[in-house]
Amino acid sequence: MDESKTGITLLDPTSESTPTKRDLSPRSASIGGLTIGLLDINKPRGDVFLDRLEEHLGQRGATVLRFAKPTFTKPAPADLRHQIATQCDAVIEALAD
Amino acid sequence: MTVDPGRIDELRVRFGGSSLNSRRVEVASIEDETEMIFQRGWTDGLPVVPPTASRVLRMLEGTTRQPDEVVALVPPNLVECTVEKVAINAVMAGCRPTYLPVVLAAVEAVCTDDFNMHGILATTMGVGPVLVVNGPIAKRIGMNSGVNALGQGNRANLTIGRAVQLVVRNVGGGRPGGVDRATHGSPAKLSFCFSEDEAGTPWTTLAEDRGFDRNSDVVTVFCGEAPRILVDQKSRSAESLVQMLAEGLRASISHDVVMGMDGMLVISPEHMARFRDSGWDRERFMTELAPHLMIDLAEIQLNRSGDLGQESSENNADLKLPKFRPGGLLVVHAGGSAGLFSAVVGGWLNGPMGSEPTSREITP
Amino acid sequence: MHDIDDLERRGIPSVMVASEPFDEGAKAQERALGLAIARVLTPHPIQDRTDSEMQVIADEAIEKLVSALTQS
Repeated sequence: MDESKTGITLLDPTSESTPTKRDLSPRSASIGGLTIGLLDINKPRGDVFLDRLEEHLGQRGATVLRFAKPTFTKPAPADLRHQIATQCDAVIEALAD
Repeated sequence: MTVDPGRIDELRVRFGGSSLNSRRVEVASIEDETEMIFQRGWTDGLPVVPPTASRVLRMLEGTTRQPDEVVALVPPNLVECTVEKVAINAVMAGCRPTYLPVVLAAVEAVCTDDFNMHGILATTMGVGPVLVVNGPIAKRIGMNSGVNALGQGNRANLTIGRAVQLVVRNVGGGRPGGVDRATHGSPAKLSFCFSEDEAGTPWTTLAEDRGFDRNSDVVTVFCGEAPRILVDQKSRSAESLVQMLAEGLRASISHDVVMGMDGMLVISPEHMARFRDSGWDRERFMTELAPHLMIDLAEIQLNRSGDLGQESSENNADLKLPKFRPGGLLVVHAGGSAGLFSAVVGGWLNGPMGSEPTSREITP
Repeated sequence: MHDIDDLERRGIPSVMVASEPFDEGAKAQERALGLAIARVLTPHPIQDRTDSEMQVIADEAIEKLVSALTQS
């Protein structure tokens, strides 16, 4: 589990006037009527998990679109992120372990 | 400073550890710190040295000033900038600790009202701070005043100029497309810094001309564009050479710009030899140059009045004005020993409307 | 994390699902990115689970996921 280790610490070269945390994007009241993208990072068993989520989301009135990253080791290609952002109202990415 | 020395514990003891007040930013091990720094917008487009506490503490050994001392209010956001913040950006630029006093003095100089860094950023003209270092410190820290002095290849020249620009970017918040509105920009906005060849000139130095002692360490900042070469490979006499240099200087920025913008003339050793051979000192050179820099206003108006729909003023028919205002041409000696070229660095609006060349003594 | 960060920057509410040990690394990266990443944790490990076990894990995660994507 390499991800659990932290790397080096840097000193902020800026005036630090910008907030450390950016706010999350605004959320809707419910997922009913939303198009939700399911992004499979391509790790084993993730597809079974996402299949089940798709059923649950459908029952709650959401439309589901499926996407898959070529590899879990790198961020998704810019084209794919753009495609997701233009087609979806919300995204679930799974499953990192 | 590119090698983390692993002496952090020892340094922490000396500096008390808590002496560094900057926010700590952790980099996840799965993340590349160089990429993360790009993503955060902390660089000028080139990779930087990651500013770890260890490196910053080592950088701070280059000055006797305290990390929390305020150096300047940095434009455009007019943010208080401490010695520590300058040190962080100096690490990122690739400076050695011995360069830090020069960076600190240069930051002070560019952040004065006179120099007007805010205006220099905001202008659509592609100008930036040009740093000239005088005094024994230049040789001591390994600055280049010789071959390719205005170009690449010398760590001190390039990283000192770059550190100042990173301070303006990161602390001051001045970024291209933000406050920085330059139409084309210029390589000079990345780093433009060199030292004067003092040993090789029979003249007083730039710093002496600006009222400093020859043994003082001084940085002069001038708002300029990229250098332009002035070729004269035929003049055998000082009289001929001064006339040829004047021809080039008259065209600085534009033939039409008279007195409104300053300039910096960088005389090469082979050109300087012509003046040395004729026994000209700096004063004699400036005196001989002056008449060649007188611009006939009628000539300019004749060329331009049609386009702008203005009537040529009869009153100006015989009026001549100097290309540069008094003190508006800075003259420096630098460059490789071979090459019958000098260089002119065109300036920007001068005086209270624009930028005043500014000099600061470099202190430990 | 970068995917979620990028999608959030584009204004798309996003949440990631990760197994519990991932959380430590995620927190560090969260500080680096300057964004609180919405995430839902599952038991670890994942890769040796049967289909029915995975479905149970999904059943347990769904409420948390919905709440991460809606106003809470």
